[in-house]
Amino acid sequence: MLLISCPNCGSRDETEFHYGGQAHVPYPENPNDMNDREWAEFLFYRDNTKGTFAERWLHSTGCRQWFNMLRDTVTYDIQAVYPMGTPRPDVSVPAAAESGTASTAADSTTTGSAAPSTSATSISATSTASSTTAPEGATK
Amino acid sequence: MANTAALEGINGLRDIRRSPASHLTAALETGSVQGTVVLKEGPFQTMAGVRVDPRSEQGSRIAAVAGGLPARCGEVSGTDSVSVLWLAPSEFLVVAPEEAHDSLGGDLIGSLTAALGDAPGQVVDLSANRTTFELSGPRARAVLEKGCALDLHPRSFTPGTALTTEVGNIPVILLKTGDESFRLFPRASFADFLGRWLLDAMREYASPEVP
Amino acid sequence: MSADLLPEHPDFLWRNPEPKSSYDAVIVGGGGHGLATAYFLAKNHGMTNIAVLEKGWLAGGNMARNTTIIRSNYLWDESAAIYEHALKLWEILPEELEYDFLFSQRGVMNLAHTLGDVRESIRRVGANKLNGVDAEWLEPDQVKELCPILNISDNIRYPVMGATYQPRAGIAKHDHVAWAFARKCDELGVDIIQNCEVTGFLKDGDRVVGVKTNRGTINTEKVGLCAAGHSSVLAEMAGFRLPIQSHPLQALVSELHEPVHPTVVMSNHVHVYVSQAHKGELVMGAGVDSYNGYGQRGSFHVIENQMAAAVELFPIFARAHVLRTWGGIVDTTLDASPIVGTTPVENMFVNCGWGTGGFKATPAAGLTFAHTIATGAPHKLNKPFALERFETGALIDEHGAAAVAH
Ligand SMILES: Cc1cc2nc3c(=O)[nH]c(=O)nc-3n(C[C@H](O)[C@H](O)[C@H](O)COP(=O)(O)OP(=O)(O)OC[C@H]3O[C@@H](n4cnc5c(N)ncnc54)[C@H](O)[C@@H]3O)c2cc1C
Ligand SMILES: [Zn+2]
Repeated sequence: MLLISCPNCGSRDETEFHYGGQAHVPYPENPNDMNDREWAEFLFYRDNTKGTFAERWLHSTGCRQWFNMLRDTVTYDIQAVYPMGTPRPDVSVPAAAESGTASTAADSTTTGSAAPSTSATSISATSTASSTTAPEGATK
Repeated sequence: MANTAALEGINGLRDIRRSPASHLTAALETGSVQGTVVLKEGPFQTMAGVRVDPRSEQGSRIAAVAGGLPARCGEVSGTDSVSVLWLAPSEFLVVAPEEAHDSLGGDLIGSLTAALGDAPGQVVDLSANRTTFELSGPRARAVLEKGCALDLHPRSFTPGTALTTEVGNIPVILLKTGDESFRLFPRASFADFLGRWLLDAMREYASPEVP
Repeated sequence: MSADLLPEHPDFLWRNPEPKSSYDAVIVGGGGHGLATAYFLAKNHGMTNIAVLEKGWLAGGNMARNTTIIRSNYLWDESAAIYEHALKLWEILPEELEYDFLFSQRGVMNLAHTLGDVRESIRRVGANKLNGVDAEWLEPDQVKELCPILNISDNIRYPVMGATYQPRAGIAKHDHVAWAFARKCDELGVDIIQNCEVTGFLKDGDRVVGVKTNRGTINTEKVGLCAAGHSSVLAEMAGFRLPIQSHPLQALVSELHEPVHPTVVMSNHVHVYVSQAHKGELVMGAGVDSYNGYGQRGSFHVIENQMAAAVELFPIFARAHVLRTWGGIVDTTLDASPIVGTTPVENMFVNCGWGTGGFKATPAAGLTFAHTIATGAPHKLNKPFALERFETGALIDEHGAAAVAH
């Protein structure tokens, strides 16, 4: 069971979430100009990374908001949680070692004192501060 | 929006309205262990689903009517008679006693709708969407812990906090109303399941503790 | 049905040769599909100067982890053709490979729990019959007769409203299947090389001419990829993409029990499938974990849900104990059908995308893939399963259609 740190609600069991597959797949800019090969790529081809993978998750039983996550597909370690619309953070340095307890993740299960007050409809693209590291033992 | 509230004659239907777990009333009574853990279905409530950006002007107008909008997960704001539960950064559940409903002489839905005006957002009468269970007693937390993965210890889950989560595998809003009392808001269609699930989880406390 | 019926084994079934510096063909992946491919290359096409390279131990991937359900009652003509061909091969293989791998045609039932299920099931029975696949529709009392421990009461959340039944379907002992193929491959001169991981490819322009491994470089005329969950990783090394997502798929077994479950029962709706292995353990599985994963393990709630489903359908399992759970890495496609054919790299061929249900196809995958590698063109059975279908749109959507995808 993954323990996932929702940027709005704090860390919750995986059962509260839905998986959304690869993140940062833009809708084609000029759909009318695309050939069959390009359509196939857009519709059916997604990265299947072994290692750190940027993916989307939905906190379906909680705040019902989408967010992005960097997760290692081999160890299942969650390396970062960051808002939709922001670029993939650089976590070449192991996240846990670098940030220690200074995680900005809404803590534990409760009042989430540090939860960023991002609006659901307009998450500012500059709010890199809400890119969060996962708490210890985020995966089992 | 909120059409049901405006329907003339809805008061005539009030008497035949049945709550989603009313068929369990007797079972809840027998299953409760006085002084240990007690389960009841709560009275009807007026509930409004509100979607609004809290930092916007319309957000401030709605906050003025509702008695504030909670800023983050867990927070509950409101007045003596109205609670506003945080569901998401721009989604809230306004809960008030049944009499607050416009069809019964109140004006909650209407005044929220008016506060939003034409601005982007949503006020929806959700009074029939969920029922409530009141679970209380020294064992109430232990009962919930059988089916809820959150940390319910009083050190982190304090009275006046509400969280959207799962209890017994179904989605609920869980409000801590007192040191040993909780209110659960399941959707109406899950009321039967959750009622029976809680009864089952309470059963062991009817027997003497095995030392 | 007891342990002492399992066949005796010699100490060695195959040699452990050192890799040669070059082969006529190299198969990457020593699971069921890789071994079957090598066998048919040697037997049907006379290609014996070939090697199977396996990064771990022989058949330690999904071949070691699957729940061994074999059936051919798929909806679409293309699928019915290849899976039914596989089933016919299963029927003759124990003799051909001179190895009793306990292929047991005890039948497979796919339960229907809703009116939608019933309609879909009856449609599939019709489609199966038109394709020469044995299939029947069973009413609940017939279901009960075939599998008395099933709860067919009306008083459960999803009552059993009937089932499709394929009498010739069943299970086989998966590791014995791998060993049977491995021994025959070895006899025919195929080198099976374990602990040999492919780490890259040598190319001359668009043509593959060799593989790099942790045991040195091997030149080869042709490469066949049979790496299941790792197919995308290998494709990336070779410079092309596959429309594959790798997911954990879990299964579990109970302690050993007396024979209580005579057939195989699958339920898409309550979502579990159960059979009883030859030794007596109840074998159960369900769907994939939602997230991509190469970890050969998944999340516990998935196991918990499949056990809850099993107890709902089989109340007598309520007190059975779980002995162990495990996971494999399955290579899923968006249309739940495999990819078997050529690739953008010349002389490189791919067999993948079998996802949660490729064990049953092992012999046909091997036969058609060997044909593709040997001749450079697909066999008529795997032609529809080409990579190009994602461009042409000729998908073979077996998702909901073929009940639980195993
Ligand atoms: C839990 C579970 C239950 C299943 N149940 C069923 C079922 O009931 N019925 C059914 O029909 N199917 C079932 N399947 C699916 C079935 O197991 C697979 O579709 C099938 O085994 C895939 O083919 P394979 O045997 O060749 O795969 P594998 O045995 O996985 O073989 C692939 C091999 O490639 C090797 N490899 C990977 N990368 C490299 C590299 N770089 N170099 C060298 N070697 C490499 C791997 O180590 C592995 O041994 C199930 C799968 C799982 C996980
Ligand atoms: Zn959330």
